[in-house]
Amino acid sequence: MTNTIFKSIKLINPATNFNENVNVVIHNETIINISKDLNLEKFNKNNQTIIYNCEGLTMSPGIFDMRVNIGKTENLKFTQITAAENGITSMAILPNQTPKLNNPSIIDHIKRQSEDINLPKVMVYGAATKDVNSLEMSEIGLMSEMGAIGFTNGNKSIKNSLVMRRLMSYATMINRPIIQHAEDEDLSGLNQASTTSIKGEMNEGEISTRLGLIGIPACAEVIMIERDIRLAKLTGAHYHVAHVSTRDAVNVIREAKKSGLSVTCDTAPPYFSLNESKLLTYNTAFKLSPPLRSEDDRLAIIEGIQDGTIDAIASDHRARSKDTKAQPFSAASVGASGIETLFSLTLDLVHKKIIDINKAISFLTIYPAKILGIDRPSLEEEKVADFIVFDENEPHTIKQENLKTSPTPFDGKKIYGKILATYINGQVAFMNQIFKNKIIK
Amino acid sequence: MNKLFKNNSEVNKSSPVKLSSHHLLAIEGMQKSEIQKLLDRADHFANLDKHANTKYLSGYVVLNVFFENSTRTRVSFELAARRLGAEVINISLINSSIKKGESLLDTASTLNAMKPDLLIVRHPHSGAPLLFAEYLSCSIINAGDGRHEHPTQALLDALTIKRRIGYLEGLKISICGDISNSRVARSNIHLLTTMGAEVRCVAPSTLMPSSLEKLGVKCFNDMKEGIKDTDVVMLLRLQNERMSGTENPSEREYFKFFGLDETKLSMASPNAVIMHPGPMNRGVEIASALADDTNRSLIKTQVEMGVAVRMSIIEALNYSKNKT
Repeated sequence: MTNTIFKSIKLINPATNFNENVNVVIHNETIINISKDLNLEKFNKNNQTIIYNCEGLTMSPGIFDMRVNIGKTENLKFTQITAAENGITSMAILPNQTPKLNNPSIIDHIKRQSEDINLPKVMVYGAATKDVNSLEMSEIGLMSEMGAIGFTNGNKSIKNSLVMRRLMSYATMINRPIIQHAEDEDLSGLNQASTTSIKGEMNEGEISTRLGLIGIPACAEVIMIERDIRLAKLTGAHYHVAHVSTRDAVNVIREAKKSGLSVTCDTAPPYFSLNESKLLTYNTAFKLSPPLRSEDDRLAIIEGIQDGTIDAIASDHRARSKDTKAQPFSAASVGASGIETLFSLTLDLVHKKIIDINKAISFLTIYPAKILGIDRPSLEEEKVADFIVFDENEPHTIKQENLKTSPTPFDGKKIYGKILATYINGQVAFMNQIFKNKIIK
Repeated sequence: MNKLFKNNSEVNKSSPVKLSSHHLLAIEGMQKSEIQKLLDRADHFANLDKHANTKYLSGYVVLNVFFENSTRTRVSFELAARRLGAEVINISLINSSIKKGESLLDTASTLNAMKPDLLIVRHPHSGAPLLFAEYLSCSIINAGDGRHEHPTQALLDALTIKRRIGYLEGLKISICGDISNSRVARSNIHLLTTMGAEVRCVAPSTLMPSSLEKLGVKCFNDMKEGIKDTDVVMLLRLQNERMSGTENPSEREYFKFFGLDETKLSMASPNAVIMHPGPMNRGVEIASALADDTNRSLIKTQVEMGVAVRMSIIEALNYSKNKT
């Protein structure tokens, strides 16, 4: 096999705190050389070498997207291909799909089905309880042996306190985190068994009052987190809060971390980029769970990203068909696409000078890996060549018509930064024309 | 004739109103001058003999599309359209298409293919008429959408008040009852505050929506305080399912604290009038005798004004569409 040389590229490698212009040589699935002065004769032995002129471009480890829903509009392979086109080289999928990922054989099946040397690696969360409303824990030990990386009920809360206590306690034996969608579903009106006549549709406040939509109070999130933190203290479990969206939640998690508990959390681009005022036209692309919150909550999420209270950024991808979204707001489905905009919206934090580029890449790579206890991706000699090449400053506009998944809540947003190529195991998983034109020989 | 109407030129009253939109989806965002003109024109229609020739819209096709039960609103719209000479087709879609699994937009575009001039839509979901307006070419009137708005109800309430008291600006108006779930309340709040009235909302805290004061109203949980010196007491219907231990402990407890009776009404201005959008729960929101007190209750006038107001709106939307 030939060597591929990426000449004069800025290499960002958070695992070694590296950010310099270098030349990178890969051979088969391995990075064989990273150097400032390229020894062309050595690596261009039989004149078969491919060389890309990468001046002005950046290389970093590929994105690990720790929260992806595979919905009815997609199949796994489609999502993998779309993810690769957007810089994602590994992803973790939620158990609440059809069929449910609630037993070891299906975990094994998904892993085998998704094994493709040239596509993003798929990791799987097992269902925490046998069914969403069930009071029985699933076979989390056996699922763990099959490779499940954590346990969650996906987009539904683990609501029973005793069940949560037992899950946390059991999970400490197998050293896996319990991941919670933190929402008191009685309070938000989403537990239809216990409420009458209301079903939460958006954040509660002036805007829900104006629109005549049922509000979900912001405290529905923190109430669940406060309970869970006490259970984490009781059991010593690693507790992870998914898609944090409110100021109170950030504050409570910050305190829990200070007190030394094993508590982590992630957020997703809508919660640091948008607020509830987007709903004023009843646009169902903004119907999310948790709902878009107030501007003050959005600012708190940004503070949490800056001070490290928030550990990772995930796409929270939950694509929906156009048909289920072209409905009155109350009848429309919940969720939005995310894998196609995760990279550029995280980079938007860099362009807005909220965090630096090393930090932004960390939020998408080594931080989520650390939470889930998997190998931290690192671009060093002798390591596997899983990486992305991107232009940090390429301006473009997100347009729904150019995306493969829908709906995006970012239609029309002007952003900077574009993925040009994705390499998985040293193979090209995606490469656009701009990068193809960078070839020297 | 009252003093306010004298100030308006007869030109306003004798010609259709031009609006900035060819839809009526919400009161929120409407200009004061537009509301004023619609009310003046409706006042003109209300003064006409019911056999007067007002058939200006012959050949105009109106579809009355109701996704929710309604008798009075549907009939009122139908009468208004017929008095203008329009052809009206009533379509009840409470169960049919929805049960067959057809999407709302498919239903809408099927109706649109029949080339109506106007769709009058009532729908249980807030914002549904906006969706129609976005996708269809004909005019849309929101005849009540979920908890959002019921603009024609607010206009007919305003006309009723103006014909009785003479003006809106500076009036103290108390809206009492289930504000949370009421589209009538929201439309009235927007209309009356736009017209310069002082609006107070009275409700049990479980039925008072979040941050309501940001809509420019004062909020009260004590009804006596909320209707003190008020000129108009507007009551809202409370649905039965909210009275058995959910938002309220019981019917009799609700009536004790929030039902309008002589004692509470004595707190209001001596000439205060009573309004209710109907249908009423006698003995829950209002003592039966008060509802029938023709000196104080404007409930029947509200129904009567509904036709005149809807005539002025249908005419205005046709006029505004042709002029744009």
